[in-house]
Amino acid sequence: MKRRDFIISAAGTVAGMALLPRMSFAAEGVIDWYTSSDSNILDFWANTVKPKFEAANPGITINLVDAGDGAGIIAIGERAIAAKQSGADPQADFFESGNALLPPGAIEAGVYTNIKEAGLSNYDKVNPLAIESDYSLPYRGSQVLLAYDTTKLDPKDAPKTWDDLVAWIKANPGQFVYNRVDKGGSGGNFVRRAIHQANGLDPSKFTVDNYTPEFGEEALGKTWEILKDIAPSLYDNGAYSSGNTQSIQLLSQGVVTMTPVWSDQVLQAIDQGVLPETTGLVQLQDLALAGGFTRSIVIETGTNRDASLKLADFILSEEIQTAILTELGGFPGVSWEYISPELQEKFADIVPKTIPTFPSGDWEAAINDGWYRNVAPNVDRNS
Amino acid sequence: MTDTVVTAQRPLLETSERRRPVGLLLVAIPVFLIAWLIIWPIINAIGRTLWRADANGDVGFTIASYVKFFSDQYSVDNLAVTLWTTGMCALFLLVICLPIALYLRFSAGRLPAYVQALAIFPMFVPSIILAYAFIRVLGPNGMADILLNSVGLPKIRTPYLTPWGPVIGLVWDNIPLTILILLSGLGGVSNQSIEAARDVGAKRYQVFWHIILPRITNSILVALSFSILGIFSSFTLPYLLGPASPEMMGPFMQRTFREVNDPIGAITQAVITFGFCIVFGLFYVRSVARNQGK
Repeated sequence: MKRRDFIISAAGTVAGMALLPRMSFAAEGVIDWYTSSDSNILDFWANTVKPKFEAANPGITINLVDAGDGAGIIAIGERAIAAKQSGADPQADFFESGNALLPPGAIEAGVYTNIKEAGLSNYDKVNPLAIESDYSLPYRGSQVLLAYDTTKLDPKDAPKTWDDLVAWIKANPGQFVYNRVDKGGSGGNFVRRAIHQANGLDPSKFTVDNYTPEFGEEALGKTWEILKDIAPSLYDNGAYSSGNTQSIQLLSQGVVTMTPVWSDQVLQAIDQGVLPETTGLVQLQDLALAGGFTRSIVIETGTNRDASLKLADFILSEEIQTAILTELGGFPGVSWEYISPELQEKFADIVPKTIPTFPSGDWEAAINDGWYRNVAPNVDRNS
Repeated sequence: MTDTVVTAQRPLLETSERRRPVGLLLVAIPVFLIAWLIIWPIINAIGRTLWRADANGDVGFTIASYVKFFSDQYSVDNLAVTLWTTGMCALFLLVICLPIALYLRFSAGRLPAYVQALAIFPMFVPSIILAYAFIRVLGPNGMADILLNSVGLPKIRTPYLTPWGPVIGLVWDNIPLTILILLSGLGGVSNQSIEAARDVGAKRYQVFWHIILPRITNSILVALSFSILGIFSSFTLPYLLGPASPEMMGPFMQRTFREVNDPIGAITQAVITFGFCIVFGLFYVRSVARNQGK
């Protein structure tokens, strides 16, 4: 190609790309749907939710868009606020995963729909423990479990309480690893379980706005002692993997015998053969490891608000909630009594009676900083 | 490689007055971009860490965030491990790349071409893929362990999640750039000068020490300062391969900003990192300036 041609075509492409977003417009009957979740969630929507919903609602289709990460969703939320102020179309109808409090002011600006008062027929089924705001809809959850190698640890000896777990870790040095507190929820929620342990197994002690430096120091200080106590017995005398996947990799390479994992990730890993069939799963019965819910948001000012509310109602139906459990490996957003008895039976071992959660806010920064300063440094690693 | 020197018919640098405005115009865009995207953020960062509002809301000059950084053992440890990693990488890069570059310069044929292709190969491997490959090969129960085990040898002490992990990864990642710069430097060493030295009886190491090394000191400085600049603030490899603590400045800054929600702390770390990088940068600028002066 000649240089001149190249420059002309390159300039044309760039100009085209700059114009492209402006040319798109929200179409009636096409729900513009955004997610910040991983690709397994996008696959689940593309292969399961979208065909079923479109078959049940002729004339409505879903346009699935990956917004990247949480910041991507927030940026689209900010765009919706700006669009409302100028009376324009936000070009977004549905967030698969979002936080109703972000971007700040979205609720006040009237951009997010009040789902509680939107008259969804299935709203009463939603697990009350999962509801965080009237403006977001918890429709699936995930929880941290302990995954272990049944060829090295007999399932009947698997630890069922925190004290058993600590005893097992100390009796089997080097066979347990959890990831760094901020690099993935599996290790992060293991640390949060240690916080619960250090503070009388009472998750209600911690709320999103009750962090004070004094209370934090007292509550977390005890936790760091527990974690420092087990550190020398961890993998490589106290090494911490850098994410959920890396922990699973260490388990699959047979380097460690046990590691905390997200329920949906581990079920998929077993399904895809990343982890062998001999992988066992266990949940602590004195108090489960913490988990979290994914909450969907409907855009009030979107062109397809009513169709989006239909979609919100649809994902709470037994059909989809069952699929979340069986196909996605997640936990239902509805209470357990709305799940078929056979499934309740099948998942009884790994499903706790409650799903403890831990607040974010100032606690998160305090935990992240404190863990790195107090637990991670380990001067005698190479000795 | 040919040794004929073509004498330039006219000077490459034209100094006639009428060409000047065009030249200035050509450099204006990059200079503007550097000022806008690099110089201004640096000034901004220094300003934001030094002029801050105190408890009463009065904006004033304070070095509190720097005092906090240097009085905090955890931060100082992170800085120390960054310096250690950078130093180790520079040392290994020199030890590994100089012999390869010398071999490539002074041999001809098909084999050196393959060696060169192999040496440049890491340039085309994204570091995140390198990190996962590293874990599979050198990680615990990885390929190295399996091979050793099959011939009855004990397992290696894996460098994964220790300070040596990032060193190995970063050295591998920086080999191509270092070799390319060293090769271009070695291109300036003429065969005649080496043959002349041999004629008067110089041995191999004498040729290297007295003839080759003085000619390529500049290239070595440039190669090392380039690699060091990248290594000092690297993120992916230390994050995936290194220990949780002490951590290198790259992951430390990112974590302070995003997970600890402490932008001022993160900017302070960035300014300190920049302070160290500017020292290495000055080496580079000095050697370029010295070259231009010749």
